[in-house]
Amino acid sequence: MPGSPGGSFSTRPDAGGRRLRRVLLAVFAVAVLLVLIAPLSTTDQADSLGLPVLVDKSQIRILTTIAMFVVMATAWNLVGGLTGYGAFGNVAFFGLGAYACAVLVDPHKLHLPMLAGIALAPIVPIAFAVLVGLPLLRLRSHYFSIATLGTAVAVGEVVKNVEYLGGANGLFPPIVRRGDLLFLYLMVAVAAIAVGSVYLVLRSRFGYGLIAIRENEDAAAVLGVNTTLYKVAAFALAAGLTGLAGAVFAVWNSFINQELGFSLDFNIQMILMAVVGGAGTLFGPVLGAILLELLLQALAGQGTVAVYAQIGLGLLLAVTVIFVPRGLVDFFGGSSRLSLGYLRRTLRETSV
Amino acid sequence: MRARSVLSALVSLFALTVAACGGSAGSSGGSQTGQDLVIGVPMSITGVQAKEGGLAKQGYDLWLDWINAQGGVNANGTKHKVVLKYEDDQSKPDISAQLTTKLITQDKAQLLLGPYGSATTASDAVVAEKNGIPMVEANGAAQAIFNNGYRYTFGVLSPANKYLQGVIDMAATLNPKPSTMAMLSADDSFSLEVAKAAQEYATAKGFNVVYTDRYPNGSTNLSGLVANAKAKNPEMLLNSGHLAEAVAINKAAKDLRLDAKLYAYSVGPSTPDFVNSLGTDSHYVYGGSQWTPQVKYKPSFYLSVPDYVAAYKKKYATSDDPDYHVAESTAACLALQKAIENAGSLKPDKVRDALASLDVITFFGRIKFDSRGINTYKPMVVEQIQTDGKHHTVFPPDVADAKPQYPTPTWSSR
Repeated sequence: MPGSPGGSFSTRPDAGGRRLRRVLLAVFAVAVLLVLIAPLSTTDQADSLGLPVLVDKSQIRILTTIAMFVVMATAWNLVGGLTGYGAFGNVAFFGLGAYACAVLVDPHKLHLPMLAGIALAPIVPIAFAVLVGLPLLRLRSHYFSIATLGTAVAVGEVVKNVEYLGGANGLFPPIVRRGDLLFLYLMVAVAAIAVGSVYLVLRSRFGYGLIAIRENEDAAAVLGVNTTLYKVAAFALAAGLTGLAGAVFAVWNSFINQELGFSLDFNIQMILMAVVGGAGTLFGPVLGAILLELLLQALAGQGTVAVYAQIGLGLLLAVTVIFVPRGLVDFFGGSSRLSLGYLRRTLRETSV
Repeated sequence: MRARSVLSALVSLFALTVAACGGSAGSSGGSQTGQDLVIGVPMSITGVQAKEGGLAKQGYDLWLDWINAQGGVNANGTKHKVVLKYEDDQSKPDISAQLTTKLITQDKAQLLLGPYGSATTASDAVVAEKNGIPMVEANGAAQAIFNNGYRYTFGVLSPANKYLQGVIDMAATLNPKPSTMAMLSADDSFSLEVAKAAQEYATAKGFNVVYTDRYPNGSTNLSGLVANAKAKNPEMLLNSGHLAEAVAINKAAKDLRLDAKLYAYSVGPSTPDFVNSLGTDSHYVYGGSQWTPQVKYKPSFYLSVPDYVAAYKKKYATSDDPDYHVAESTAACLALQKAIENAGSLKPDKVRDALASLDVITFFGRIKFDSRGINTYKPMVVEQIQTDGKHHTVFPPDVADAKPQYPTPTWSSR
């Protein structure tokens, strides 16, 4: 959100920032703990060893899904939050990464080992991002949003009609047996790579360039920022990270079709998570992904409640954008005019 | 400090939701005597396929009432009451897989019945396979699911490549026998699979396929294709597509005076909408169907066809016949029931093996799975809208309730 004093991003932690960091550290500690105790779960290994049950497969699946959305929301943040370009088609990168990985590991196609397939798959979405990024990133505001959305839908339709990619039936990567924990660890690793990448970007000349583009692209260009290069690089990095999540998803789920790979639900959820959590911040999208995915999972299977929940999510986005434009991270931890901290100070100062 | 406490509350909520709610007892499934049998069912109760999902659920529930009225399913002399544990997958494959995992791990479902739709079925088949839980599905017809060597998924439907074979088999018995065929197809994977198999089968049966073409899924202006077909003067006009396209082709055939002796469309003729939109022009048209309420199978257990239709009308207080979605879903339950009885056990692996060697006749037809898990042994039936305006089952003759009205008169003489 452009230029008000205090900025939506600051490298110098104030009191609120430190507190927030502590809280987020606690969240991560819980996550790490869960990952560590995961072996004591109803996975096949634990079943055979007769270990007590702390986390079952369905919860491991939820954790893996959360990690997947942490990647997608964090990657979206690079373009939508830091650079200020409202990308609305990042799911195309997810789908391309997933399909690329499925083709790479398919025994009837390229038949690479699983990890090689996952590692190589992001090349496809990165190449695609560079290709479409060059023309699309010349568009601004809603023109850019609509163009990216259209591109994502178009890619999905093309993929659906390519026989080599399984057509409307999709592809079935080989099932990895007893792989529940492996995929949780893989997805958490990808999430760590994503958050780490944004952390490094935020502290680099590249990151400052992106923020400069968001605040005033023409001024940034005048100051010597190669705006085209920076924007395309951010777009490609987001594509690579999202595609990596897609690649892990493909082998984890052992089934990928157009509906899953180019899911408009995923497309909207990742944006919602980033915006609700705090676009432009490092941990905002992480927090948004964790909270919203937990909410969605709690509602899944609740029948019509889930339908109302979809409406609720739309309202949540509207309310967030209007009242807490910098997201939950700023609301709870920040010091800007829209945060709890500011409200409390104001109340203390004005009350007698 | 309130900010921190709010967030700590959220953190603990997170921890609780993830870690604590799974505090389940350590007992695992097995065939304890008299224990309830929990069958997990992910189902499109809301979402884009809610209507069809509702029909599938009707089919499952119809069997549930019946089996529990018998005291439950009989495994080796012990009767187990059946509990169908539904989860609403919102017609979405990712949610369906998640809920299927939950049904297995938290609700301790020992067996699964399939969801509605090919994509959700594919998603859930992976979960069933990973967990070694047998799933019998009745509402995902795409064969792709069965080409991956999965051992735990079984489908009671006749596969796509059978859809128009019945029509071709029937044509071979007609007098005068038609000899030339035109085949039009929508470009979605299911329709193409149907069309490709029909062409190959017709050629193998000695018919001359004089014209084939495909059109974009959902097209309603098909005059050009029908004109091309007319130029080849086919005696049979076949379409593999959907309701709207079948209607458009039939209209174009009338407008252009394409006088075939036989018109057959894979999807469309069985629905009331087809008759409503075409009126008497719908007469003589054939369609392939998984099941019709007129079929004359002699089931070895459960209900006869008329009793099934009556039971459906009674339970759901309707005068409508059960849709084939309902019947195929009930058939999936029957496959599970018979497999449990044959296995004499509720153990997933035993039931799986019994499913693989199952061979029974039900009101739905024969249920026997090939090595991939598809019921390739049940023929598709052919139904025809006859001059009384009603649907009649006309092929195969042993289950038919009427003879085919053939040949179709020319448009100018109707």
